[in-house]
Amino acid sequence: MGEKQTNLLQGTLDLLILKALVTGELHGLGVSRRIEQITRGTFIVKPGSLFPALHRMEENGWLTSFWGESENRRRAKYYRLTRAGERQLGTETAEWQKIALAMTHALKTS
Amino acid sequence: MPGSRLKAFWRNWFRKPAVEADLDDEVRSYVELAADERIAAGASPSDARRATLADIGGAERLKQQVRDERAGTWPETVAQDLRFGIRQVTQSPGFALTVMATLALSIGIATAVFSVLYAMVIRPLPYRDLPRIVALDTRSASGGSQAASWPEYVDWRRMSRSFTALAGLMQSTVGLEAGSGPVALHEVQATDNFFSVFGVNPLLGRTFAPGEDQAGRNDIVVLSYEVWQQDFGGRKSVVGQAVRLDGNRYTVIGVMPAGFRFPINMLNAVYVPMHLTANQMKNRGNHWLQTIAKLKPGVTPRQAEEDLDAVFTQLGKNDAFNAGRTVHAVDMTTWVVGDTSNALRLLLCAVLTVLVIGCVNVAGLLLSRGVKREREIALRSALGARRGRIVRQLVTEAVVFAAIGAAGGVVMAYGLLRVMRLLLIASLSRGAEVSLNVPVLVAALAAAVTVTIIAALVPALRLSATSPTMALKSGGAAGTSRGQHRLRTGFVVTQVALALALLVVSGLLLQMLQRLRDTQLGFQPDHLLTAEIDLPHGRYAGRDVLADFYQPLLDRVSALPGVRSAGLIQMLPGAGWGWNSEHVHIYGTEPLKSPRTDPAEVRFVSPGYYKVFQDALVEGRLADPRIDKSTTRLVCVVNEAFVKKFIPAGRDPVGMEIGDNDQTDTMPSQPNPRALIVGVVKDLRQTIYRPPFPEMDYMIAQIPAAQTMDAIGDMKLVIRTAGDPESLVPALRQTFGQVDATVPLRDPQTMNTVIADVLTFQRLENWLFGAFAALAVLLAVVGLYGLISQDVELSEREIGIRLALGATRRTILSGIFRRVGWMMGIGVAIGLAVTLAAERLINSVVAVHAEQSAGLVAALALGLALAGLVATALPARRASAVQPMEALREE
Repeated sequence: MGEKQTNLLQGTLDLLILKALVTGELHGLGVSRRIEQITRGTFIVKPGSLFPALHRMEENGWLTSFWGESENRRRAKYYRLTRAGERQLGTETAEWQKIALAMTHALKTS
Repeated sequence: MPGSRLKAFWRNWFRKPAVEADLDDEVRSYVELAADERIAAGASPSDARRATLADIGGAERLKQQVRDERAGTWPETVAQDLRFGIRQVTQSPGFALTVMATLALSIGIATAVFSVLYAMVIRPLPYRDLPRIVALDTRSASGGSQAASWPEYVDWRRMSRSFTALAGLMQSTVGLEAGSGPVALHEVQATDNFFSVFGVNPLLGRTFAPGEDQAGRNDIVVLSYEVWQQDFGGRKSVVGQAVRLDGNRYTVIGVMPAGFRFPINMLNAVYVPMHLTANQMKNRGNHWLQTIAKLKPGVTPRQAEEDLDAVFTQLGKNDAFNAGRTVHAVDMTTWVVGDTSNALRLLLCAVLTVLVIGCVNVAGLLLSRGVKREREIALRSALGARRGRIVRQLVTEAVVFAAIGAAGGVVMAYGLLRVMRLLLIASLSRGAEVSLNVPVLVAALAAAVTVTIIAALVPALRLSATSPTMALKSGGAAGTSRGQHRLRTGFVVTQVALALALLVVSGLLLQMLQRLRDTQLGFQPDHLLTAEIDLPHGRYAGRDVLADFYQPLLDRVSALPGVRSAGLIQMLPGAGWGWNSEHVHIYGTEPLKSPRTDPAEVRFVSPGYYKVFQDALVEGRLADPRIDKSTTRLVCVVNEAFVKKFIPAGRDPVGMEIGDNDQTDTMPSQPNPRALIVGVVKDLRQTIYRPPFPEMDYMIAQIPAAQTMDAIGDMKLVIRTAGDPESLVPALRQTFGQVDATVPLRDPQTMNTVIADVLTFQRLENWLFGAFAALAVLLAVVGLYGLISQDVELSEREIGIRLALGATRRTILSGIFRRVGWMMGIGVAIGLAVTLAAERLINSVVAVHAEQSAGLVAALALGLALAGLVATALPARRASAVQPMEALREE
């Protein structure tokens, strides 16, 4: 079941991670909590999907990572958007809105 | 972006420890952070940690998921799979070897044989406007093949309207005087328009100009590419150079490009214009000129035949030879491929059959193995392997098998082709040009590899789609699904059927070969040595070759130790025919009704020939050199077939006289042109394929000295030896050198080899079919064995239960054998049906005599069924040895 959801949400997940990081750097758990927050609890991203996505996006050059200290003073790996990541967020947002609009339109007409 | 990917790739590969440590830290930090959250929500530290780990499904699993996503990981996983695949190969070597050997054999055989077929049947001949080139198969009124005489050819060429070129040619051999001694070459003597038929331009220089086949202008030669390379070092300056052929001076005018040959099997040839003897020039009854032609554009072969027939009719008004003559314009491809095309087509079917059997076998083996591994795969997927990953692993394994098998196939194809090329050169017209056909090799490889991968993929997909818990739970019942079972049964039946069809065909061919070999030749071929003598024209023209060469040679050869007797004949018994007189008439019997002709074979022999072949005299006497000389009465010895055809029953042939117009031309100085029959001998086969022809033997001693070179310039030396004929060759070569150093010893062969060479194609065909059939049977047996073992293995538990419930071992065994019996029965029935369906094709190659072959077919079917039962014996024994308690405890 989990696997299926990842497949379905592959594109969406990237977009959500990018969006979550717009407001500033976050560690993995932070990204996951932030996504929960901005989607009002609709998407709960499991680590099994989150970490592969983070690493892939870093390899793509959209994110950069560094080790820092968390609010409760634990060492944690933080992710931050790069310029390329910001550009990617722009194009993916536009793309998504186009799709969303089309889908909404399609579902309304019957 | 590619830049960052590349950087990541680099990091993942070359700074792996750092990357791994980083990942390790990150996962640990995540677990701590998440656990902190849970503690904050009120959980105990240990519970929080456990819950978090359960949530991510284990730290190791999470790390693997990240690794899978990384750049540059696929080569690593492929390498892993490869290692695993190779380990699988070494772990079950029997299975692996079977699969790979099956692949190698199927690919190798299919490719090698197809390459031969392509070279011989499919590849176009190297001539321009091929469809317009025809060979003229002219036939006499009695229907026998009859070439043209020179005067006839001149008339046909002048009077016909359908051809842009009507050319004539004659093949012989010639000695080229090279620095190191005489080199034996093939010679094609042709008319001036010979090269215009083919439209192939010379590589260097020019070809014959019109009129260059006239005496005085015809001492010119065009070299084939091979001769140019081998004997002239490929020098461009060769054009214009003078060479000596058979002692005569010729000027090289051109060199043909590589690949141009006519006749197509003529390697090492030189092309010279016609050099006609006085007899050839004017004798209308001396039929020796083979004719080929190029049709005018738009003229069909049919129209050309009608045109020539009209010419024959017109000439036939005052010429017995052309009356009733017919012509068949055979297109060049048919003419070259000839008799063997049907046999080759049958062979092609056999090749495809073997390929199909091979693929079916590999598929069956892999499928049943996939079934065996169901549990392993279920376990993997339970442990978290993703579906794609499992499929990729199984496919990689299959690729390992396929790759090794394919490599073996390539090696096999090369090896087989080498062997076949050796065997083929002598017997097949285009054999010299056979080379490995790369597209076909690729196609065969692709077919086999695809089948392998699909066969591996099918169970992989099916299994990875079922839920692991189900597969694990169903335990021993795995793989017993009905569909699987039926598929594998179908495979076995197919294999048995195809194997039987191949067996029957090869059995029939073997029977035919046996019959041909057992043909009553009329002589014992053991202890006989033969060699060709081809006297150089320049040296011997006009001389008495009997006194100057043959007699001294025979005297010396007879004196060699180990020689029982030696003789001469112009055509070897068993290996050639067609040198005949068209108009044979016996004085005192019904005159022939013109234009019907009655041919009889003509042989020129020395007395020693009879001793060598141990001809049995039926009545009268043999020709005797002390009585029959060039000045005495012309005599001849005939065979029993001659007596049967020409002498009315009840009359004594000895003392009768033959009117033989064709030969009296050769013997003009005889006071009486009628030949007196002095003796009758038993029949010797002139050719293995036909019953004996009527034959008249003339004595070479009775040929007038001046005519000897024309009549017997080419002869066969035949020797009966006391011991091994081969061992005589060096001494014989020396003897030739002593008599005349310019005459090479050509082609020394034992008579057994000569006979075997005649049958080369049959032997090759047989050998191939035998190999195919053996391979097919082997594969079918292996397939059956695999299937039954599989069955037994999978149903061990069921057998255990049945035994525990009171079934006897006999019922278990009989159940298995009944199943095999059914499969064999259906396979054999289908196989026979297939054979019957292909009967027409088979019949065109080997006559299927129902009554003679029924026993053979039945025996083969029975043998195959028995082999099947034997293959079952081993797994069946294992089944009957199942211990109920153990079988039930397992799992």
